[in-house]
Amino acid sequence: MLKVLFAIVTGLFGAALLHLVIILSLPYFSEKDAYTRVLAEGSRHIFHRLPDQRDRAGLVQDDPFIEASVCAYDISQGPIRIYAQENVPFWSLAIYDAASNEVFSINDRTAAAGILDVVLATPVQLTVLRKSLPDPISQSILVETQQADGYVILRTMLPQPSFAPATDSFLSQAVCAPFEWRQRQQF
Amino acid sequence: MFRVPFLVAIALAIAFGGGIWSTLWALEATTGFGVIRLGAWEAFPQAQTAEADPYAKSHRASAGALLYGSAEGLSFTAAVDDGGTPLRASCTYRIAGHTPPARLWTLYTLQGGRANRPEASKLPVALNSRAILRHADGSFEIEVSPEARPMNWLAIPEEGRFRLRLTLLDTPAAGSSGLIDLTMPSIQNLGCGNA
Repeated sequence: MLKVLFAIVTGLFGAALLHLVIILSLPYFSEKDAYTRVLAEGSRHIFHRLPDQRDRAGLVQDDPFIEASVCAYDISQGPIRIYAQENVPFWSLAIYDAASNEVFSINDRTAAAGILDVVLATPVQLTVLRKSLPDPISQSILVETQQADGYVILRTMLPQPSFAPATDSFLSQAVCAPFEWRQRQQF
Repeated sequence: MFRVPFLVAIALAIAFGGGIWSTLWALEATTGFGVIRLGAWEAFPQAQTAEADPYAKSHRASAGALLYGSAEGLSFTAAVDDGGTPLRASCTYRIAGHTPPARLWTLYTLQGGRANRPEASKLPVALNSRAILRHADGSFEIEVSPEARPMNWLAIPEEGRFRLRLTLLDTPAAGSSGLIDLTMPSIQNLGCGNA
């Protein structure tokens, strides 16, 4: 009898151990996490509009009054610039790394003059950029991230259906792409 | 003669069965620690950050949802009314009061894991801060009911249990400071059935 009790206690101990191992390791091997789903939307450095119904990649825009686009990035080769023309009542941008940790977020009131213009770079690239800031990005917000890959979410509000043309053009014109960041070498 | 293998089998069955079941249960039941509760409303302001606890990180890795950044907004969910009873589509509720300071907010219901969308049912199944009637002091009353109501009506198109989701956009509530002083609107049960 004592042996059976001992076996049960051993089993419970093993169960607790397994529970901890799964909880702690799940973020590293999950294939359903947000970054994997954003990658499944299509190619990087393009904003993909999220549908109202859950799509093949498993992403959905639940809120009936919010329209959103996602874009996966990889800045190991060079920084990216995120910008869009705005004439919408509200927009917000969140940058996440591959583990879905928030790197940076901003909305139209916290941005200077309500302009969406963000450059995302690694610390090394930022050092090069700051030495000679190219003219097009001289007004941009410079964001530094340690992780080279991740994803960006751009959201905008659609308080009434009549705002649809404005939000459609805002999201379809939004750009999330690498740009010419180094001066050409002069020989 | 099979005593020892039998004991080993018991231990292994409990370890694997219990370990996997408890993990699945934990991921299903909770978004992790760090919840803030204001009345019946729950929110997880830290769930998207690097400081989130292991349960929150595990949950977000398996749920794969796109969370709101701290400058974007904060989503509150209510599955029960102020009395602690689960919300049911056969009952009528009144949501009354103020939201925490926020530029805009949206309110909609979730049924069966999906959001109810206005274009699907032609009923006002979702409301936002720009499209409701308010009292002179800025507070509001919304009646959540399967039957049509005067003033602000939030329709529930399907039978069964539902959850309410109130998303505050551009709100200082998403920062961690001063969360104690915030008040969310109350959710009163006004009666169930056809009474």
